[in-house]
Amino acid sequence: MSAQTPSTLAQRSGSADPQPPTWTSTGGRAPSTGAVVRATLLIAGAILVVTPVLWAAMSSFKTQAELAQTPPTLWPNHPTADNYTSGLQAFDFVHFLTNSVIVTVSATVLTLIINSMAAYALSEYNFRGRTVLFLITLSTIMIPLQVILLPVYQVIASFGMVNSLWGLIIPPAATPTGVFLLRQYMLTLPDEMIEAARIDGAGEFKIFLRIILPLSRPALAVVAIFSVIWRWNDFLWPLIVAQDESVQTLPVAIARFASQQAIPFNQILAVSVVTIIPIIVIFLFLQRHIIAGLAQGSIK
Amino acid sequence: MSVVAPARARGVRGWMRGKNLAPYLFVLPNMLIFAVFTIWPAFNGFNLSFYDSSNGRTYRPVGTGNYTNILSDSQFWGVVQHTVLFTLGFVVLSTVLATALALMLNSQRRGRGALSAAYFLPVLISPVVVGIIWKAALDRTTGLVNQVLSAIGLGTPGWLVDSSLSLVSVILVGTWIHLGFYAMILISGLQSIDTSLYEAARMDGAGVWQSVRLISLPLLRPTLMVVIILATIAGFQAFDFVYTLTGGGPVGATTLIIQYIYENAFSYPIQYGLASAAAVILFVVVFAVTFVNYAIGRRSDSI
Repeated sequence: MSAQTPSTLAQRSGSADPQPPTWTSTGGRAPSTGAVVRATLLIAGAILVVTPVLWAAMSSFKTQAELAQTPPTLWPNHPTADNYTSGLQAFDFVHFLTNSVIVTVSATVLTLIINSMAAYALSEYNFRGRTVLFLITLSTIMIPLQVILLPVYQVIASFGMVNSLWGLIIPPAATPTGVFLLRQYMLTLPDEMIEAARIDGAGEFKIFLRIILPLSRPALAVVAIFSVIWRWNDFLWPLIVAQDESVQTLPVAIARFASQQAIPFNQILAVSVVTIIPIIVIFLFLQRHIIAGLAQGSIK
Repeated sequence: MSVVAPARARGVRGWMRGKNLAPYLFVLPNMLIFAVFTIWPAFNGFNLSFYDSSNGRTYRPVGTGNYTNILSDSQFWGVVQHTVLFTLGFVVLSTVLATALALMLNSQRRGRGALSAAYFLPVLISPVVVGIIWKAALDRTTGLVNQVLSAIGLGTPGWLVDSSLSLVSVILVGTWIHLGFYAMILISGLQSIDTSLYEAARMDGAGVWQSVRLISLPLLRPTLMVVIILATIAGFQAFDFVYTLTGGGPVGATTLIIQYIYENAFSYPIQYGLASAAAVILFVVVFAVTFVNYAIGRRSDSI
């Protein structure tokens, strides 16, 4: 229908229209009232969204006395970095950051490897049991870790993986969405290349490594972005597995730090601000890829 | 579906055997982890819900006792009520706001990158930290929100300490976290709509509202279904930001189902039976809701 309507409508409207094709464009002319209202709403909303974070960041530079002062201050009167120095003395940031980085990186690498291998088999081979395995994979989308916490915990307990980074990394690694996304992408790759490589005598694993993986880079990037954000922020599973401080990741350690009555709240805010910075820096570098990748990944 | 085996290679026996085995070897690591850490525990979860334990080591069979206990547990019904109210409020509010945001942001040219980044910021912050920030911002006396409200003479509501307001606060913070993410999904749905439709509508004299109502929203329906399903699942599984925002309080007013399961399973007094029965019930509910959403989504696809 979309192919016909524009021309018929154009005829009906009579003369050629000088305006640019999109209905929202303000191109060159004075902005319409609608555009002004829209821009105002968008900016006001953005300020509303960002302000609490900025306010918390500013509060982390206030003294304990200023934080409790009435009427309260918006900007710190006497900015101080004390909350950062004492907060980071009480909170071993580098240690928890290291755990978070180890878990996020190795879990993402593991997920990419096993998901792409499974996706390759499910998309490029005909073998007995393929449909069943694919259906099993899809159905596990319905079984998030949250609803099987207890039985999964028992499994890792029987493997002695409680309080080990392996217990954090391995159990959620076989993501069904990752297999699904990668399989859908690999189905679009031309079979001729695989057959040509096979005739040239390339082994099955070599084909996967040298041909399939490089071609699947866009899909791998989407899965990687999902995995990194999810693992970096993950809380419930690490809360259960990492009972000992030595293996705690940043979210678990911060929650524990924040629950201690003796710690002043501006120190907790200071530590929180420090943990936000790495992910925002990464985001600013990769913004375009992250937003586009996440949006596409969710729709498929 | 791709048929990869070239017929003329069939004579080479050793090569064939390797190729026949290959797909199984490729799926093995993933399926092994699935089997051990998802499928077996899922079945065992049902089994566990017929046992009780107070220490996690010795179990005694109780038949359907856990279910009769939990269904007569007033705390559980309170938790169910909070979870359903939270999920409903969160799904409706975040879907409506994300749709409005997506429509506006998609037609905004200038400053679009900076605006997107601002709305996307909460997605990047660890939910645990989100809870801490909002706990500070919603503090009755020193929080940012009440500073502003009292400055314009609107009083100082107890956002987190008033049990009738605390669930509203949790809904608002949950929406704040996910709004940007859902809007980005909807924007990519909007961008797949043929722009010539808008052109046609405009030439036909349709205003902005008519274009939105008659073109954008109907064609956005499949993407909206995705967002609603994602939001529903996120709603039922909310835990992390609530944990640091209210801790489930005041007096359990914001305790949601995952926290109920977590506390019964892992903090004193341990009641494994209640936790595993609640987990099975949650599984059934999430499964049913997702299935219904999916069925509705499919039907609207075929229209």
